Amino acid sequence: MTWLLKSLPLLVLAAAVQASVLTLQSPRYTITSPTATHPRSEPVSLVEKPATPVVLGPADTLKLSFQVVEKDDGKGVQPHQTFLRFYDESTGEEGIQPIRVTSGGKAKFELNMARPPASLPPTSPTSPPLKVSLLLGSFAHSPAKFDLFELSIPASQPVAQHPDEASFHLLPEIQHTFRPEQKLPPRPVSAFFAALVLTPWVVLIGLCATIQPTVPHLFSPRILPFTTLLGAFEALLLWYWVDLKIGQVLMYGGVLAVLTATAGKQALGTTGAWRTGSK
Amino acid sequence: MVSICSLLVSLLSLALLSLAKSSTGDSVLVVLEPTLDQANFSVFFDGLKKKGYELTFRAPKDVSPAIIQDDIPSFSHVILFAPETKAYAGDITPQSLVTLLSKNTNVLFVLSSKQTPVSSLAPEFSLILPPPGTPLISHFPERDTPPSVIPIPTTTNTIPVTSSNLSPIWYSGVSFALGNNPLLFPILRAPPESFAADSTEDTGADAVVDAAEKSGEGLWAGSSMSVVAGFQTREGGRAAWVGGVEVFGDEFANKEVAAGVKSGNAQFAQELASWAFQESFALRVDSIDHHRVNDTTVREHYTTNDQVVYTTHISKFNAETNAWEPFSGITDLQLEFTMLDPHVRTALPPVPGSPGEYSVTFRVPDRHGVFKFVVDYKRKGWTHIHSSTTVPVVPPRHDEYPRFLSAAWPYYVGAISTSVAFWVFAVLWLAGDDKSLYKKKGGKTQ
Repeated sequence: MTWLLKSLPLLVLAAAVQASVLTLQSPRYTITSPTATHPRSEPVSLVEKPATPVVLGPADTLKLSFQVVEKDDGKGVQPHQTFLRFYDESTGEEGIQPIRVTSGGKAKFELNMARPPASLPPTSPTSPPLKVSLLLGSFAHSPAKFDLFELSIPASQPVAQHPDEASFHLLPEIQHTFRPEQKLPPRPVSAFFAALVLTPWVVLIGLCATIQPTVPHLFSPRILPFTTLLGAFEALLLWYWVDLKIGQVLMYGGVLAVLTATAGKQALGTTGAWRTGSK
Repeated sequence: MVSICSLLVSLLSLALLSLAKSSTGDSVLVVLEPTLDQANFSVFFDGLKKKGYELTFRAPKDVSPAIIQDDIPSFSHVILFAPETKAYAGDITPQSLVTLLSKNTNVLFVLSSKQTPVSSLAPEFSLILPPPGTPLISHFPERDTPPSVIPIPTTTNTIPVTSSNLSPIWYSGVSFALGNNPLLFPILRAPPESFAADSTEDTGADAVVDAAEKSGEGLWAGSSMSVVAGFQTREGGRAAWVGGVEVFGDEFANKEVAAGVKSGNAQFAQELASWAFQESFALRVDSIDHHRVNDTTVREHYTTNDQVVYTTHISKFNAETNAWEPFSGITDLQLEFTMLDPHVRTALPPVPGSPGEYSVTFRVPDRHGVFKFVVDYKRKGWTHIHSSTTVPVVPPRHDEYPRFLSAAWPYYVGAISTSVAFWVFAVLWLAGDDKSLYKKKGGKTQ
């Protein structure tokens, strides 16, 4: 619409010039098809557009004939420019086909879909019918443009694209397929087997109950330091498993080992003394 | 001495005329052929001077100033208003012009229907020129100018390098077909009713049809032809191809397209020059940043399956302020994480609230190797944005795997109960009593 408004000054310019007007006399098109029995022939209306587009199959032939005459006196004229314009509105693809006109103004054009001309624009299966119009230009007459009909033709090969063309548009997204997460057995199974590992304790506790051992020297000052230090050593190993690094373990463990060794020597000496006779 | 003085003077004048300028420099060399008069292009050249460009004029056969010396371009931009010149001085050759473009110097080429060295260079840019001697003519719309002077509406621009709301432009020259090179794009298309022909009377109609049938490429006609085309080189230099020099002339700039409506030639010429001289549609990458999520330091390497944040800052050149300003208007920027082939390609959206910043978070693939963050943005009319940052991706270290697994519970329980059992045994043995000893002793004493 804005295009129309912008070109309004050009139309005003056109009206200023007075020259003879061209028109078409008896424009007709004929479609011959190998399947149909007789060719379909129809006149082309310059005033109103046909309701349905002209459909051409892959082997059909469209023959267009008309005569270019001056509107006033009907004299045949050979204009400088007689072009058939095929225009695809959706993609903007256009094809211009010049038509040979005799000096008397008679013109014939044949479009054979079996051997299409190079001027036909590429079409895709989803593209709308091509708008076909006739452009008449002359040095001695006013130019004229006629919308003839809409033409539906079979789809063409797709236009060959430059190999780099795809990188000038949005490229498809790529998502990396990751390895599936490591599968673990279900937790109840692990819990059951952990409980199974604890069953020997049940047996041990049962057997201890029958023996009923006594620990009279548990809090003796010669035994207790060693047992607590031994417990601390075990706790250090547990702490190492959870959190510590080797350097720290060796440091703490070194200190603890010296203390445990002295306490242990004392404890073992004491039990030895007990066994040999002091109790 | 003289050169230093002139340098100081030019610097001073540049400081005073600090209006719209190009992002690559202000010195323009205009190669004007002797048949063209500089005064006939005063509207165009004065417009350039007002924007702040320094124009230097020479004829094609002049030896100095040379456009390129020792492989260093002498000027930032070159305007070749020599459409019919067949012989140039030694420094202007097709090779030197291409070298200029590859060194980020912009060139404005002008063609005519005559065959010249410049028109032989045009096919290198994927332009297909009509046969020599066939200028563009159009009988539409009906007007009182000759058919070779054509008003072209500006409303059919698909790539808005120049505005599409200007008045129609007067044009006289040739049209050309564009090959399918994606670096080339049309700036102004020919009107659908125009065609290239050398006849001046209606009796030339047969020649037109013969020409179309004889040459394998058909007729140079219709709106698939262009009259102004732009070429963006990969290194950044821009080449603008115009089919006729009179588009820039004063006569067309002052001519009316309708009663009281001036043509859009003056503004179109300035907008074309501002695109060609990298004032408009010029982008660059300011900075790149990548780090792990919740981390601020840039790491030397990443581990597989990391979550990584990639941020880039992009600026666009603003000709009015002569500065690079952050630009958040790119909606289709993409990031590729590539090792030989892209493993991840994701959109890089602008961050709302932070001008010029584009950021995305993604997961590093679980392959190790040397990857690159690649941003490669190419669109017709815009400068190309390339950035590539190499980063190694290593597999996890021995202590970066999950520490405790639920499948290992039985083993944990077993090991801990062994330790506990040992300690209990030690306690019992040390602290315990040997009853059999008592019994024996008791038995012995009795």
